[in-house]
Amino acid sequence: MTALLLAQTVLAISSPMTWGIGVGTAGLALRLAPQVAWQKLGLLLALIGIALIGVALPPLGEALPQVLFWLMATLAVLASGAAVTSRSPVYAAIWFAVSLLGTAGLFLLQGAQFLGIATIVVYAGAIVVTFLFVLMLAQPEGHSPYDRISWAGFAIPMAAIGVALVIGMLVGSLPDFAPVGPPSEVLHEEHVARLGGQLFARHLVSVEVVGTILLVALVGAIAIVIQGNPRRKPLVQESEAGR
Amino acid sequence: MIEALIKIAIVIGGLMTAAAYFVLLERRMAAWVQDRVGPNRVGAPLSQLNKSWKDLRLFGLGQPAADGVKFILKEEYTPAHVDKRLFVLAPISILVAALATFAVIPFGSILPPGLLSDEPIALVISPGAGVGMLVVFALSSIAVYGVILGGWASNNKYSFLGALRSSAQLIAYELPLGLGILGVILATGSLDLDKIISAQAETGWWFAFTQPLGFFVFFVAAFAEAARLPFDLPECEQELIGGYHTEYSGIKLLLFLVAEFLHMIAASFLIVMLFFGGWHFWFITGADANPGWVQAILRVAVLMTKIFLVILFFMLVRWSWPRFRFDQLMAFAWKVMLPLGLINFVAVAAIDQFRTISGNTSPGMDLLCVAVAWVICIVAWVGISFAGPLVADNRPRADLNPFDIDSQI
Repeated sequence: MTALLLAQTVLAISSPMTWGIGVGTAGLALRLAPQVAWQKLGLLLALIGIALIGVALPPLGEALPQVLFWLMATLAVLASGAAVTSRSPVYAAIWFAVSLLGTAGLFLLQGAQFLGIATIVVYAGAIVVTFLFVLMLAQPEGHSPYDRISWAGFAIPMAAIGVALVIGMLVGSLPDFAPVGPPSEVLHEEHVARLGGQLFARHLVSVEVVGTILLVALVGAIAIVIQGNPRRKPLVQESEAGR
Repeated sequence: MIEALIKIAIVIGGLMTAAAYFVLLERRMAAWVQDRVGPNRVGAPLSQLNKSWKDLRLFGLGQPAADGVKFILKEEYTPAHVDKRLFVLAPISILVAALATFAVIPFGSILPPGLLSDEPIALVISPGAGVGMLVVFALSSIAVYGVILGGWASNNKYSFLGALRSSAQLIAYELPLGLGILGVILATGSLDLDKIISAQAETGWWFAFTQPLGFFVFFVAAFAEAARLPFDLPECEQELIGGYHTEYSGIKLLLFLVAEFLHMIAASFLIVMLFFGGWHFWFITGADANPGWVQAILRVAVLMTKIFLVILFFMLVRWSWPRFRFDQLMAFAWKVMLPLGLINFVAVAAIDQFRTISGNTSPGMDLLCVAVAWVICIVAWVGISFAGPLVADNRPRADLNPFDIDSQI
């Protein structure tokens, strides 16, 4: 029993997947270092980590889906890494949008058309644009020196180890790495209509509750705005007097 | 694969040529409206080849080529104070988003099999995209990035003001745009543009007749999304020099301008396909799914004619209507367009349900539904104009102190 566990552990440690995750997260942590040379090393390590994970994944069979998958997956992973490590919040928001494009591409590759496009519409089209809007008003100069956190020496390695553990557990919980085709019953030809049917029949109450919560939030925002800016009396008399 | 590449080549080539010649058309239209002559000189410069030949003027048809060469040969100046990476990224992203839209927009119906291939050829780059309408919506929201990034990266007051205005405008008018589309989707039950067109062709009732309110809302919102006058606040030459592309020159500026024209062309495609029956015209094109060659070519011709007419209307409106003030623009979006869109959505659903329950499919029933839709349209329009009149007075308001006026702008 112990021998089996030991063998499994040795197998797991020696697999390119484990090394890929380890090297990749080390690269992610190094990207956050203040020195430029370390940052470059971090980018190199992250690329090596992605390549190692890629070696561990089984091939998809056909050439075109394989190339597209590589493109989209690498784009999504690299862009989300850049979104976390960018010093300028505007660049971070743009990298986040790029990683969403990559994710949407992966969804489309699996045949989930609605999910892919909805990701772009909701996240990239609405939420990130609103972020950008606020960031640009707040920080026209990009980043400021006080953004550097003094306890980063502790937080960054901890975050990197956390990322590595989460990815490792997610990967470990997969039974095997055989490519899974899109489930045919869910991705029916008219899957948008089916999705709508599900949302407004089975999940009707949840949809209505979510809508109500959003409405309440909107009304609350308006109430806060009015409270901070009380309605003044018109100044007609003053301007009349001025004439 | 090769089929798709050929279609992409046709669409991009056609769009680029069309954009170039629409610039000429727009300038000639402007001249005509303002009682000028307009650019009519540039043709074939034959005297450059041989001194004894005379230049051909050709009504100024050489002007787009001259403009293009001018843009490419001009100095491409990048100011020192800009954020260089985003400054380059902005025009690229806006043009990519504008061109990618046309992947799901059909430019005809379908070509019959036999001559070109053994199977019928759908005249759209990606046939079978079940969510075509949503793709257009998603890409138009990506186009906002180009404007915001261009304005911010320029590090210039005018650019930034233009970008701020335009992001507020584009986000606000996406809502009435979506509400206008929702009515059509509800009536057809599909997000596929091809199915939306054939639904109109089968009944012969274009959605502009059956959903007039949705048509008006969508039409106005499409003008705003394409940033055409009276909604061209992102640019407004007179106040902001050029808005978000003030700092751009050379080929980067050209990318912005082409993207702008592509937005207008995409908007006209959508208006025609959603509300004017796409390639359908009574007695000419037929409605069956497998047309003959004559019908197939007629359908393309009908579609292109309709789109051309809508674009002419875009250009006429430009010189007929003054620009909105910013508070008017926002009030119009939230207090007029949004309620009208909601009323349209409810009305379409109610009329549809009424028809289903009555089970009556006679032409008289069709007429009744159309009449009800028009009555709802007129009542809603008049009601809105009484409930929230738009302040059209452009003089400074005496009843507001400077603080309030400032917060409006």
